[in-house]
Amino acid sequence: MTRSAVEQLVETASLTGREIMERYPDRQFFGFTCSYWPEELVLAAGMEPLRLFPVNTRAMPPELPSFSCSLARGVLAELKGTGLKKLAGLGQAQTCDTMQCLGSIAQGAFPEQVLELVPPVLLAAPGAREYYHEELKALWQKLLGLSGEAAKEENIAAALNIFQRMRQLVRQVDEMRPRLPSPLVASLLRAGQLMPRQEYVTLLEEAVTALAGYEETGTGKIGILLSGPVLEKDSLYLMIEELGGRVLVDDTCTGTRHYAEDPAEEAGAGRAGSVEGLLEQVARRHLTMPLCPCRHRRLEERSEYLQSQARERGVRGAILVVRKYCEPHAFDAVPVAKALQQQGIKALVLELEGADVGGQERTRLQAFLESLG
Amino acid sequence: MTEKRSYRRLESTKELQRVMTRYYGMSNYFRYWGKPLGRKLAWVTSGAPVELLRVFKIHPVYPEQYGAICGSRKVSGELCQVAEAQGYNQDLCSYARAHIGSILRPDLAPMKGLPKPDLLVACTNICGTVLKWYEALARILQVPLIVIDTPYQPGEVTPQAKQYVLRQLEAAVVELERVTGVRFNEKKLDTIAEKSRQVTTLWREIKDLCAAKPSPLNAPDLFIHMAPIVVLRGTDTGVKYYSLLKKEVEQRVQEGVGALEQEKVRLVWDNIAIWPHLFKFFKMFTERGACFVADTYTGGWAMDFSEGNTMETLATTYTEVFLNRSAQYRARQIIDQIRQFDADGFVMHSNRS
Repeated sequence: MTRSAVEQLVETASLTGREIMERYPDRQFFGFTCSYWPEELVLAAGMEPLRLFPVNTRAMPPELPSFSCSLARGVLAELKGTGLKKLAGLGQAQTCDTMQCLGSIAQGAFPEQVLELVPPVLLAAPGAREYYHEELKALWQKLLGLSGEAAKEENIAAALNIFQRMRQLVRQVDEMRPRLPSPLVASLLRAGQLMPRQEYVTLLEEAVTALAGYEETGTGKIGILLSGPVLEKDSLYLMIEELGGRVLVDDTCTGTRHYAEDPAEEAGAGRAGSVEGLLEQVARRHLTMPLCPCRHRRLEERSEYLQSQARERGVRGAILVVRKYCEPHAFDAVPVAKALQQQGIKALVLELEGADVGGQERTRLQAFLESLG
Repeated sequence: MTEKRSYRRLESTKELQRVMTRYYGMSNYFRYWGKPLGRKLAWVTSGAPVELLRVFKIHPVYPEQYGAICGSRKVSGELCQVAEAQGYNQDLCSYARAHIGSILRPDLAPMKGLPKPDLLVACTNICGTVLKWYEALARILQVPLIVIDTPYQPGEVTPQAKQYVLRQLEAAVVELERVTGVRFNEKKLDTIAEKSRQVTTLWREIKDLCAAKPSPLNAPDLFIHMAPIVVLRGTDTGVKYYSLLKKEVEQRVQEGVGALEQEKVRLVWDNIAIWPHLFKFFKMFTERGACFVADTYTGGWAMDFSEGNTMETLATTYTEVFLNRSAQYRARQIIDQIRQFDADGFVMHSNRS
């Protein structure tokens, strides 16, 4: 029996990097870990971007101290295994100190194949745009070197179109959040970080029209803002739903924030098909997208952004996930929780070892959601 | 009871104590002398280009060093708990937590906390933590925050990184002019940067003297005597102090006097000091004749100020510090130290800071 587009996307979202590579053996995959990695450049260079998630969050590769986050430990364990040996390369966008070290360490597993990109931390600083443009230009040449492809205008234009369409579709899905089960939306979005992007867009086009069949109305769910780092599984979304909540704003690294693009910026996209246009587009998006805690534009910008998102979507509570040992998110949880509480939105800071939730989290979430009444 | 130390005490330590006591006295009584003169006080990260601040007669105070003081005075635990009660996760850097705790509960803190700043200056070249730490400080204290983003350098320092940092330094000058009401004076910056160059060169030369056998200094000496290199770069006091220290260390080398009674093993230390147990910890080694003849941490301030336009020099110097470099670069640095100092081994301190 033919599976629907929605079913295919949900199933794909549950696959590991190794399984994705096995499913598409004719593709050349290039791994990355952070939303600031310019996937467009990878695709335009003839490779498929593949976001790497930890399979085993308890993995303890000796190269990293045990007090590193499970994302870094788990990804390193995967890289050292045999499953990802066919990766064309690994891209590390500098985020925090741990992921910065992971880039260096990964050089050991993938000599000459680890490309490091250092986006500005101060996205609005004088010279940030020019600096980042030069960084991207250097990266573009390295990517072409890895793939063995020459820069082709048609490939660049195609890559930009794919990502533009993908982000438009994700915005549509995001608008449907109040009526769709949260784990379903999480899966749909995560699939787009794993599978070949053209196939993803094709399936998502089909899925968007079919999502009406999944809509639920009048459920009385409690609207939740979820913010945090990478969530490679749907466990938390599922538990929130089971306990009567619904994620209306997903500010996780794997949620809506990953796809965020200002429609006005998108409309003003530069010279399609040219390398300069491609680099400008990536730089513009990265410099203007909603902040992750590793970046800075203005002191209270992130809190204010989340406040506005909460207001627009009418959420009643916020769950701020801190992945154990993730310093940027842990620091930010304090002002963000305070800002939301000042707006009358209760906030729960939930520390997780990885993306899995268990009995302790259920108790805390249940109490929290009950308090929201 | 005073703990017995297993190595020779430096005469310069008395001067060090005098210099640092005076520095902290000047900081603590800033409101009595600085405020009437219209001066500003800034809290600054240890790797920030402090030379710029000195042009504007801003008095720099270093929360990281204060974090180390909290550790050595054994009050970090209590201060960290104060920060944790405000929501700061217990896995966050203990320097940051202890310092935030000292702001919230100065009654528990050494010197009743640091004097309140007029502005904050953070430079990302030492770690990513400082950005979040200083953001937290800016929220608590409601004072201007200047951040200098020195991009991490996986390989050689790139021209675009230097240019980007330079642009930010130029913007920082404008902001400092606004905050202080003082016009920027480039010649003054040249003079201050020259003093920094002298201080860091002296520090590097002192460290290099430890290639002698026996080594005239042990790591605890370097950790203690690094205090002025952090807080007194760009000053005559810094130049004077390190000239004195260098003279004493040179004398030890000439006389064949080692830091230890009997040096049997030469080691290299990697990472930060264990401040709460500095002597107790190193005693384990000194009792066995093991001397740490070099380390990576205090080398962070043995910067090589290149020649040329001072602003460009600052941009390059503060971007290329070893903490802002790849693991490969740092591994090469340790290997080079092992060779240069003819070490028998090295100790890596895995630190949760």
